[in-house]
Amino acid sequence: METTKEEEEEKQEVWSWGAGTDGQLATGRIQDEHLPQLLPCSLFQHPISNLSCGGAHVIALLQGGKVLTWGRGTSGQLGHGDLLSCSLPKPVEFLQDFVVTCVSAGWNHSGFVSDKGCLFTCGDGSFGQLGHGDLKSQCTPLIVSSFASRHVKKIACGMRHTLALLEGPSGDQVYGFGSAKRGQLGIPYENVRYMSTPQCTRGLEDSNIVRISANGDHTAALSTDGHMYIWGRGFTGTSDISYPQCAISSTSLSQMALGWHHALVLTGNGEVFMFGGTRHGVLSDHQKTSMLKKATRNAEEPNKIIMERVPGLDGVKILQVAAGAEHSALVKEDGAIMTWGWGEHGQLGLGSTFDQTTPQFVSLNQRDSGQYTSIRVYCGSGFTYVIRTASPC
Amino acid sequence: MSYDDVEIEDMEWNAELEAYTYPCPCGDLFQITKEDLKLGEEIARCPSCSLFITVIYNMEDFAGDNDRNKNLEPTKQQPVAVA
Repeated sequence: METTKEEEEEKQEVWSWGAGTDGQLATGRIQDEHLPQLLPCSLFQHPISNLSCGGAHVIALLQGGKVLTWGRGTSGQLGHGDLLSCSLPKPVEFLQDFVVTCVSAGWNHSGFVSDKGCLFTCGDGSFGQLGHGDLKSQCTPLIVSSFASRHVKKIACGMRHTLALLEGPSGDQVYGFGSAKRGQLGIPYENVRYMSTPQCTRGLEDSNIVRISANGDHTAALSTDGHMYIWGRGFTGTSDISYPQCAISSTSLSQMALGWHHALVLTGNGEVFMFGGTRHGVLSDHQKTSMLKKATRNAEEPNKIIMERVPGLDGVKILQVAAGAEHSALVKEDGAIMTWGWGEHGQLGLGSTFDQTTPQFVSLNQRDSGQYTSIRVYCGSGFTYVIRTASPC
Repeated sequence: MSYDDVEIEDMEWNAELEAYTYPCPCGDLFQITKEDLKLGEEIARCPSCSLFITVIYNMEDFAGDNDRNKNLEPTKQQPVAVA
């Protein structure tokens, strides 16, 4: 039986909350929201296949490969050809003729990968993070020409640096560009502040990298056999690492998420662990954080990354994790959303501005979660999105 | 407690705000003016939240005449419009 295109498309709910003064919540308002806001589905034209949230802007990759952006645009990061912010989703016209397969939003820059393996970047280029060989910013996506003869598969944008995963002659290769000061590019040069052209990251040649991740001055990569490599800025109490360091080799990992001072990892069994989370959820509590600083300074092994199981999740299988600059979110097996960490802008969606040290339930309007085929959570610096997809009726 | 310690060379001069800035995890910018630095102030605040950072710099670099200070301003690149 034939069905119309509209009927075939999945039904999606898009929710947003947290910091909103740059229009990043797509509510049409420029204000923070402490509770989840359900956005009209007409805003997005087609179902969203992936979302990437940056410092204060959002990139939505739609089914079919079209791209919408909104939020802060003052560095050109929305790719609309201007320097204007936008509080509602708007198509990136330049990319209309491309089928985009991967998007990433950094602090103030953006990256887009096409199905033909081309990489385009726009936004703030002050640290070479656009990869064009200069420090210029761009308000329209510009192809990264040094990859012209290569096939780019994935892109990950951090605060001031960018990571790209490319098909190589014998296995995939990781390249980095932009700010290099904290070791976040993983390149074998000392005392380099930035690189404005892509540089091959050392030490991952035989690692079969499948996922790359960047946020703050941190970088991470995940291999097919479930090993996680971390490099860049040290986590609270540890020093910077200028080469990919295998952070976990004994447990198989399925996902990772980086914040500015913490990282989350999800194991194949659905357990969640956190790195560097000593200040997570106590940022607004000045007394507690000063005590922590003393404690971490006295640590005997300054380079050891401390990994801790996230409390309060005993026995519950977790399907997905996401990290904002200073907050975290996860999706439980039963479809429930939980958040914890810094809450000053309402980014936890709990109706308050309090911090939380353990995951708390976010109340979206209660419907039978069994009706959803997919529930995903995404974090920007100080805000959060949830997309719930229901199978077509 | 200070959210982070940031070297002045890692901050960006923002001509519009007339301040050195650094990204704040809330999405806004930590800011400190040249006048503040001249007076020995080392705390840069974010106008949108309660967090602040400690700026690491040499006070002498900001104490002198204006010509000397100009050399310290990182040039802020303006985005290029591409049709």
